[in-house]
Amino acid sequence: MEPLKPEVRKRILDEHPQASPEDIEEYERLLSERFTVDPDLPMAPEVSDQRNADEERLAELYDKLFSTP
Amino acid sequence: MCPTPIITTLRPGDTTKTNPFTVVIVSNPSLEAPLNSGTFVIDPITTMQAAFNTAATRIVSALFALLPTQRERFIAHPSIGPKIRVISAFVSGLPAQQSNSLVAQDAVSTLLVARRTVFMPFLLGIGINVADVVYAVSMSETHRRASAWFTSDDDAKAGIGFTLDSGMFTHRFFNIVPGTVAIHSSTDTFTPLHEFGHALSSYSNGKVVDLYTDSGPGINNKNGRPIPPHFDSYDGTALASDLTRDGLGYPPGWSSYHCELIDPAVPAVMDNYFAAGTPEACQHDTMTRQFLMDRLRAKISR
Repeated sequence: MEPLKPEVRKRILDEHPQASPEDIEEYERLLSERFTVDPDLPMAPEVSDQRNADEERLAELYDKLFSTP
Repeated sequence: MCPTPIITTLRPGDTTKTNPFTVVIVSNPSLEAPLNSGTFVIDPITTMQAAFNTAATRIVSALFALLPTQRERFIAHPSIGPKIRVISAFVSGLPAQQSNSLVAQDAVSTLLVARRTVFMPFLLGIGINVADVVYAVSMSETHRRASAWFTSDDDAKAGIGFTLDSGMFTHRFFNIVPGTVAIHSSTDTFTPLHEFGHALSSYSNGKVVDLYTDSGPGINNKNGRPIPPHFDSYDGTALASDLTRDGLGYPPGWSSYHCELIDPAVPAVMDNYFAAGTPEACQHDTMTRQFLMDRLRAKISR
């Protein structure tokens, strides 16, 4: 996954005072982790549940980091 | 399939092989917007052949170390580069539907995401029957970040074995699903090389993961504190850990640590190369470089 450019990271923080560097870190980690599991293999129920929870958290963070100020 | 795609061999690779190692660069006919919605629209790249050709040139330049000042040159090695075939396919005029959609727009980011299982049926339909790493180029108006899925190896077929501290693995000759990259036509010059590192790696025989976040385990990343001086052994050669993530530092709270860098002055290719100022100065860490070179050599020998 293409990394965030430093200027994009700065812009997110400048435009969204409620966002923190830790939010960006968590967001980037969850996005990147998506690609580390073969999406076409069956998942154990607990893995599937975790991935659903991760997607919900990603949606929350997306709103926090990218919603129109 | 109609109309006729424009297929160009950009590099012939090893013409003595029935199944030469092949990189395919294809224009994305149809975007799924958003991902997993079942809604498809025509990708603007389908009417922009010049932009597609420019993107293809950028991808080839990054892979084969043709960028000015580029220092990561492992694919251009004389034992590797001439053996790699590169094909571009510009496809236009197809309907916006599931079977023509190689790229989706993510709903919770500006990532372009490869719809990996569509790739081989689509490529077979335009006469391309061998693919190891495939770049699908989009001109999405809203999503510009690239992403990649690792290769799903065909573990029922042969390969060349290698060892890590954790056991024996195999650089497989063939795949079930090739490594797939979704990338924007306006990509910067270096991102294609970063995504190639992911896409060439394997779900079952070594993942090359992102190093700019607190990733889970991979061929190039481990987790734990304190960081041990020994990272791993690759085919019996001991490799040291990068104790300081030179130039960037490990943030407090991370458990990740990486293999030693070839050049400690700049981040690794799989790390945040944008932080280098000049991304072309970045090189892989020691483990990633050797792993990717051996994996390529195994595949081009098939």
